[in-house]
Amino acid sequence: MDYKPTILTGGDTRSDDQIMAAHERKHVKRVSGPGLPGSDGQGEPLVIMELLQRLRVKDVMRDHDIISVVRTDTMHFAQNLMKRNHISGVPVVEGKRLFGIVSINDIILALEGGWIGDPCQKHMATSLVVLEEDMPLAFALKYFENYIFGRFPVLNKERDLVGIVSQRDVTRVLMRELTKELARLEGAPSAQCEPKGSEEAKSEAVLPYYSMRQFVVVRNDLTNAGKAANEIKKMLAAAGVGKKIIRRIAVAAYELEINICIHSLGGSITFILDSHKATVIAKDKGPGIKDVEWALRDGTSTANDWIRSMGFGAGMGLSNSKRVADVFDINSTVPTGTTVLCEFNLSDAAPASGK
Amino acid sequence: MNINDIVKTLDGTLVAGGESDRTVGTVVANDLMSDVLLNDGDDILLLTSLASDQAIRTANIVGAMCVVVHNAKPLPQTMCQVADTLGIPLVSSPLSKYDSCVRIHDFLKSETGA
Repeated sequence: MDYKPTILTGGDTRSDDQIMAAHERKHVKRVSGPGLPGSDGQGEPLVIMELLQRLRVKDVMRDHDIISVVRTDTMHFAQNLMKRNHISGVPVVEGKRLFGIVSINDIILALEGGWIGDPCQKHMATSLVVLEEDMPLAFALKYFENYIFGRFPVLNKERDLVGIVSQRDVTRVLMRELTKELARLEGAPSAQCEPKGSEEAKSEAVLPYYSMRQFVVVRNDLTNAGKAANEIKKMLAAAGVGKKIIRRIAVAAYELEINICIHSLGGSITFILDSHKATVIAKDKGPGIKDVEWALRDGTSTANDWIRSMGFGAGMGLSNSKRVADVFDINSTVPTGTTVLCEFNLSDAAPASGK
Repeated sequence: MNINDIVKTLDGTLVAGGESDRTVGTVVANDLMSDVLLNDGDDILLLTSLASDQAIRTANIVGAMCVVVHNAKPLPQTMCQVADTLGIPLVSSPLSKYDSCVRIHDFLKSETGA
């Protein structure tokens, strides 16, 4: 993402790039950095990271009934406004333009200094830290962590004030979205996990897009094996991805899902989709593969008769996944488990042979 | 060759998945699902002896237009449910897979006039 923190003037002693670098280190690298991004054993759960990237500031901000004053209003008027509405700061706005903010601290100073009757423009803070409406929510959280302010004005691209975001707003929306996500992960019906309509899909396909989902795969549960691949296929179709590349991604996801189901103690399939790339990460809890090179050869398998009777165990799973992926990586340790990564370039849909 | 042609040619019964106006592009006869996934053809007609949910799920991954299960094998209820959910026509045929292949081949040959 190319978003830069917007600091009108003053604020944090660190530079914008330093803040950005801190954000990258904490919130982005684990998803898209080198190595296998699905290493979710530490740090934030993937589902939360996905939410923080997917949700935008405009999704959580209050964009109506913004309580504000104009520059000529008195500090006393601002004080009463804050008292009546139980808020600790009020933006100074005319039209849609933001001129400053009068905080509770400014009011205390005005009471102490005897200038509570002065117009706000004389004592308002003009060194403002603002958020942009299209920034990922992760940015807003970083701002709350880095600055002492309890709320931030939100501007659009035209630099108009379009909303205010407070920590309470963030918590409210995050709780709502997490509840939906948990319901989905537990298999409960939820409107959020329904495939999007084609019109919506078309409009999203041209926008910067980021989505991540994780599916639990249970050992020997062949009744449900394949559901993750099917969901991934639906997500790709909803995002407007071409049929041929959907098939390649679905084949890899399905093979890896079946592998986890029949060969491992259980694990997960994580699917990450952005505007340029789709990534499937299969991670299991063991027992690991003793000889990865051998396992990658066509026709080699440790499957038993039961697995073969179900139509699997032909020893093609890993090689099939490698064949369809643009980037293939496998890391296995006995007895801790195996992680397989398959990446697909969405901008270059040429058939892959596995790299 | 459409669904009606398949049912008629194979003395079969459409048991789940509903009607479809798609026509056969590629014929794949296999019981190993990884082999099916290897196939790059479009509008696959999958001829198999595998009477399980996974035959349908595999068919869905490769975008198959129909699945035929042979030897009048009893089809699990869950298999029919998955076929209905994914909208993949599921046909039961009393023929062996070999006989089905022969009849499908003859039909397609007559269709193209070759």
